[in-house]
Amino acid sequence: MNGISLGKYLPLDSCFHRLDPRAKIGALLMVMIAIFLPAGFLGYFIIGASVLVATYLSKLRLNFLWKAMKPMLFMLIFLLIVNLLVIKEGTLLFQIGSFGIYSGSLVQTLYIVIRLTLMVIITTILTATTKPLDLTLGIEDLLKPLKKCKVPAEEIAMMISLALRFIPTLMEETQRIMKAQMSRGIDLEEGKLKEKIMSILSLIVPLFVSAFQRAADLADAMEARGYVPSQPRTRYKQLRMQKKDYLFLIICLGIIIANIILWRLS
Amino acid sequence: MSITFKKVSHIYQKDTPFAYKALDKIDIHLQQGRMTAIIGATGSGKSTFIQHLNALLLPSEGSINICDREIRSDEKPKNLKELRKQVGLVFQFPEYQLFEETILKDVCFGPKNFKVTQEEAETTAKQMLQIVGLNESYYAISPLDISGGQKRRVAIAGILAMNPDILVLDEPTAGLDPQGAKDMMKLFKELNTVHKKTVLLVTHDMDHVLEYCDDVVVIKDGHIEKHCDVSSFFQDCEALREMGICPPAVIQLKEQLQQKGFAIEKQALSLQDIVKAIVKEVKQ
Ligand SMILES: Nc1ncnc2c1ncn2[C@@H]1O[C@H](COP(=O)(O)OP(=O)(O)OP(=O)(O)O)[C@@H](O)[C@H]1O
Ligand SMILES: [Mg+2]
Repeated sequence: MNGISLGKYLPLDSCFHRLDPRAKIGALLMVMIAIFLPAGFLGYFIIGASVLVATYLSKLRLNFLWKAMKPMLFMLIFLLIVNLLVIKEGTLLFQIGSFGIYSGSLVQTLYIVIRLTLMVIITTILTATTKPLDLTLGIEDLLKPLKKCKVPAEEIAMMISLALRFIPTLMEETQRIMKAQMSRGIDLEEGKLKEKIMSILSLIVPLFVSAFQRAADLADAMEARGYVPSQPRTRYKQLRMQKKDYLFLIICLGIIIANIILWRLS
Repeated sequence: MSITFKKVSHIYQKDTPFAYKALDKIDIHLQQGRMTAIIGATGSGKSTFIQHLNALLLPSEGSINICDREIRSDEKPKNLKELRKQVGLVFQFPEYQLFEETILKDVCFGPKNFKVTQEEAETTAKQMLQIVGLNESYYAISPLDISGGQKRRVAIAGILAMNPDILVLDEPTAGLDPQGAKDMMKLFKELNTVHKKTVLLVTHDMDHVLEYCDDVVVIKDGHIEKHCDVSSFFQDCEALREMGICPPAVIQLKEQLQQKGFAIEKQALSLQDIVKAIVKEVKQ
């Protein structure tokens, strides 16, 4: 469980850690848009270079990002194979039996690989430099304008923060139940399929039972402390946008504009 | 079938910035057939220690000899299932591990994992439910629909049904009512004396230790602070207080009587002994 980088907060001290979470979420959205603009390799070069600078400034190690990428590797290989078989554009590079490999398929795959890599990296930078609670505060604020059209912004943010809060608890619980059932003789590595299914059942059922129990207890505890959904609540931590946050957003806007120009010119 | 730890250390999250040494070079020898209490402050490493007994946790350093097997830090042990059948481990709040539709099925789950036939498993399950004090009327009920204390009994029956030689329990009486806790301790004592099982249990209740156990192991900050038999352990109140342990009620009574001038000998550790000593003194 310690090998996972995606979505993990790293308590470092960098200028990225100190940015306003709203600015960071906004920047993430802008860079995502930029990534999906068909601006060719030069566009990706601009984004890639900025992402590298961002990685450096947030004091993350490349090793950490690599770990975040790893789970995607399988998907990328799968995509590569599908693309090689399906896309028949560009020049024919070489022929194996009745299958031809075309330059277009390689270019397409490369685009997808670059896009996915960049997306994973920027998301990882966001989650690694922002405390989960700050992230939900940011989301709550960004959703606020939507309240006019009856989007329950505070409730959504509360749900997200509760979910984030309970991920480690559930992990711990899973570990505990796993150990308890291992003491009763389940074997997750060896054994026949039927036994394995039974083993997994013996983990899932207690996990669900305790998760529901916890949820019910939590709801009672929140009610007892006076939580009423959709009622206005005050907040201890106030977010404030500063000059550097605006500057950061302007830089990201610059990236989008550069990509739009490249796209229009091509 | 004794248990020997040789220089066993355990480091959680080894090779990360969060590494934490929970056990530090533990050397201990536990005899067969004894009922041993494991005590210590919270976070001292008791649960970590007992999870080594059935290899749920493996030593980071050192080796463990248990049930004719050697578990070493430098090789990955194989076929741990056999060991887990011989060493039954009941976790803290075991009621969370119940999952089958009926209580009887849940108790059968353990033995069936060890290739016991359905009939045999059911026979043992019924016996064990009897032992923990649940009669036939419970067999067909869902284990999720009974009280907390009853759930714990079912969970313990589930481990007993595997017929382990060594029974290890992590705070088995935590959160039970006083009478329920007492019944539970009596049950373990019976398993120890009648069924000849080696019992190890983690507890915070010194009255239980004094009344039911043979030996005491004190764990402090990941090492063994003391390992001796119960009677010598409770004779020296000063040493107990130094270790931050509040002596059992009977011992406190004895201490106060001694301060009032009664000559009660050191070996007196039960209410009967104390009463006898007082009667003797009054008669004189
Ligand atoms: N999975 C884990 N990862 C990291 N550290 C852990 C882990 N489990 C336990 N520890 C640490 O190891 C130490 C010993 O824990 P352990 O659970 O053995 O204590 P304990 O004596 O059983 O306490 P208690 O009486 O509260 O049950 C504690 O300081 C705990 O913080
Ligand atoms: Mg414990």
